[in-house]
Amino acid sequence: MARLIGRRLLLMVPTLILVSILVFALAEVLPGNVGRSILGPYALQSQVNQLNHTLGLDKPLVERYVEWVGHFVSGRWGDSLQYSTPVFPLVMHALGNSLLLAGFALVIIIPTSIFVGVFAGLRRDSFLDRAITISSLSMTVIPEFVSGVILIVIFAVTLHWLPVNAMPPQGSPFIDRFYYLILPAIPLMFLELGYIARMTRVGTVQVLAMPYIRTAVLKGLPRRRVIFSHVLRNALVPTVTVIGSQVGWLIGGLVVIEFLFTYPGIGNMMITAANFHDVPVLEACVLVVALLYMISNLIADIVVALLNPRIRMGG
Amino acid sequence: MNDEQYRREYGEHLVEQVKNGKMTRRQLLVRASVFGFSATVAGQLLAACGSSSSSSSPSPAASGSALPAVVTGGTLKAVIPPPLVALDPVTIYDQGGIVLVYQICEYLIDLSNTNALVPKLALSWTPNQKGDVWTFKLRQGVTFNDGSPFEAADVVASIDRVLDPKSGSGALAALAGILKVGGTTAVDISTVQFNLEKPFADFPYLVSASSYNTAMLPRNFSGNFLKKPVGTGPWMLKNYVTNQSCTMVKNPTYWGKDAQGRQLPYLDQVDYAFVTDTSAANLQLQSGTVDVQPQTVFQGGQSLLKDPSLRVDVYPSTGIRELAMNVNKTPWQDYRVRQALAYSLDRPAINQALYGGRSNLGYDTFWEPTVFPGSPTPPTRAQDYTKAKQLLSDAGHPNGVDVTLTVANYLENPAYAQLIQQQAKGAGINISINEISYNAFYAGTNSNTPWLNAPMCIVEWGSRPAPAVYAQAMLLPTSAWSSSHWNDPDFVTAFNQYESTTDEATRTQLATKLSSIQQTQTPIIVSFYISQLRTQKKNVYNIQGPGSFYFDVSEAFMTAS
Repeated sequence: MARLIGRRLLLMVPTLILVSILVFALAEVLPGNVGRSILGPYALQSQVNQLNHTLGLDKPLVERYVEWVGHFVSGRWGDSLQYSTPVFPLVMHALGNSLLLAGFALVIIIPTSIFVGVFAGLRRDSFLDRAITISSLSMTVIPEFVSGVILIVIFAVTLHWLPVNAMPPQGSPFIDRFYYLILPAIPLMFLELGYIARMTRVGTVQVLAMPYIRTAVLKGLPRRRVIFSHVLRNALVPTVTVIGSQVGWLIGGLVVIEFLFTYPGIGNMMITAANFHDVPVLEACVLVVALLYMISNLIADIVVALLNPRIRMGG
Repeated sequence: MNDEQYRREYGEHLVEQVKNGKMTRRQLLVRASVFGFSATVAGQLLAACGSSSSSSSPSPAASGSALPAVVTGGTLKAVIPPPLVALDPVTIYDQGGIVLVYQICEYLIDLSNTNALVPKLALSWTPNQKGDVWTFKLRQGVTFNDGSPFEAADVVASIDRVLDPKSGSGALAALAGILKVGGTTAVDISTVQFNLEKPFADFPYLVSASSYNTAMLPRNFSGNFLKKPVGTGPWMLKNYVTNQSCTMVKNPTYWGKDAQGRQLPYLDQVDYAFVTDTSAANLQLQSGTVDVQPQTVFQGGQSLLKDPSLRVDVYPSTGIRELAMNVNKTPWQDYRVRQALAYSLDRPAINQALYGGRSNLGYDTFWEPTVFPGSPTPPTRAQDYTKAKQLLSDAGHPNGVDVTLTVANYLENPAYAQLIQQQAKGAGINISINEISYNAFYAGTNSNTPWLNAPMCIVEWGSRPAPAVYAQAMLLPTSAWSSSHWNDPDFVTAFNQYESTTDEATRTQLATKLSSIQQTQTPIIVSFYISQLRTQKKNVYNIQGPGSFYFDVSEAFMTAS
């Protein structure tokens, strides 16, 4: 397995290089001009040209890419063109925020959705199973900006139980962060719970139909042991794969939630950087998210292999 | 004649103009402010005009009704859009940046709630007879928040800095052809002289807060404002988190005192939350998370108007949405086609749809007395399809015209474009809307950027304090930001005469002429002057400043809720 993990890790390198080239090229075709964005619409064209020249933005694309990649791999991530501040702390701050929100959401989502999915699978075709399936499906199809606004209006504006924004005031103790993250985590739970729970339910139903489960029951094993040792272990294989694929989105794709709850995460930062042609920030954000996405998938594959020894990664 | 004699004569001239009915009392106040007369002197001039109630504009409902007793201390929480770029007074151009710089830095001249010029770091400003040399007397005893004194050398450095092309300051375009590097000189420690390239009667506006890049900075300002945020203003930057929030604390050495001699500001601290999405910002207000929003967008903000815990003030800003028709492109070469579009619009209906009827109507001229007091009253333009069709027919388009309107997907611009499209159809003007992103709209160079090259487009403009400032920016062949590319020799001649004379009777005549040419030729359509909304909790009082950029909380205070 170590060899396979090593191979997967090595494969990440060309993937990241390809991603960085794509982002650089795509940023080039986006409408807009860095000098104009920095100086605004009222600066003279000559001033804009001068700034672009100072920033080296009038050099050929390939030359700029090679220059940037050389700096990036040597740890010099440069300065944000938009904010004139170093990229590394800027991106790490946003990443930290996103990881906290994603982690907090996953801590709620994973146990809840697995419990709900297994519960429904064990009671296949019962009233509760149908209720869980229909309600989880309904929650999944509600866009997060709709559920988010409804939750804010109920719990923040009307009842004043929870804060409307996701960041506590400056100087608040760290523990307060979690109180402020409750409301943004709920729409994410709505979206993910239905997906993961239904996947778990299907896995549970399929495993329950397997001959080895019938054998386990007939040989007199307690129900709890059958579920935890035999059903869950096998039913969770597709669930873990799905969770692995969702981690990347939970870290880098929460743009709507971040905008709605005024949360300075990395999704928000990527959109802003793309709009501004802030390539150093955009590249750093995309590469960090891509790396986390690949790592989370790798971890999911490892967990799947550990859950089911019959599965061998990559043959 | 020395400056003092000239000022006295000019004051007498203003009084005479009012007595002879050639000028209104309100116009006198505006001109007095441009020529640097103090409020006391302006009051004396008004008194000399004879008995009548003061025609000065009432302050907008900045403080609701009568003010309660001042409460000192406390923290005000405000929500503003995040500054788009690094905070730098020399180059800021967006609302978030301007609001924050306005707290830390000050200008030679400030704006009152009604956009009149009021002394700030300059106590007086006087032109010579020709109007090409302006002498500013500075306030003494003012220090920057790092302890260094504010003197004439700082003014010279601050103005020369924005005039340096390398600084990238937007103020350069506004001052081009009027003032160049080296034109500003320190006469003594508290007197500055501006030697203009040509007479310019509205020059004080160009070094006032309305020209937001002309903030006064120390002579040794290094360019990294966030690292060393030095200014003479009432607030000091304590903490700044990019794209997230910032905290301002009061400047303990601020020179400002209130009418009772109490030290300003009253509040201890102001926390600014940076929120991009207007819906999210509105929800922060409604949930009580923040106390004030300097600019509330009407579209989407209607629920705030009905919220009993909030007070929404209406400010008569001079911001516009310029509907520019490029006179170099078909079919806009003919002024009759441009007029036809102007007559196809139902302006009250547009005002109602976009702003709930709160904005002031415009009639395609910048000399509009409802927003620029003292301007000649232009003929109104009601929707008139018969006239519009006749104009089109006269211009050789009896079957109507097909045109494209380019608009950025920004603010209420797309909604405005749709209203124009619907209304113009009745006159036979078939408009296709080309809606593009904000970045795409301003992308490219002067020769290909959509906002300066599209056949027709909508451009959003923040407040400008005087008609001439607008005209200088977009209606002259030398204008840097002319989307219409209009070039009318009569208008140019009249404009140069208008800015070269300080004789009010002549200026009024020329303003009438300029307004008439602009309206007749209709290079741009100005359907409305936007009234801006400022929303605050009901226990917040005495916020000052016109519009959304000039958010003056130095005399604001909060009572117990």
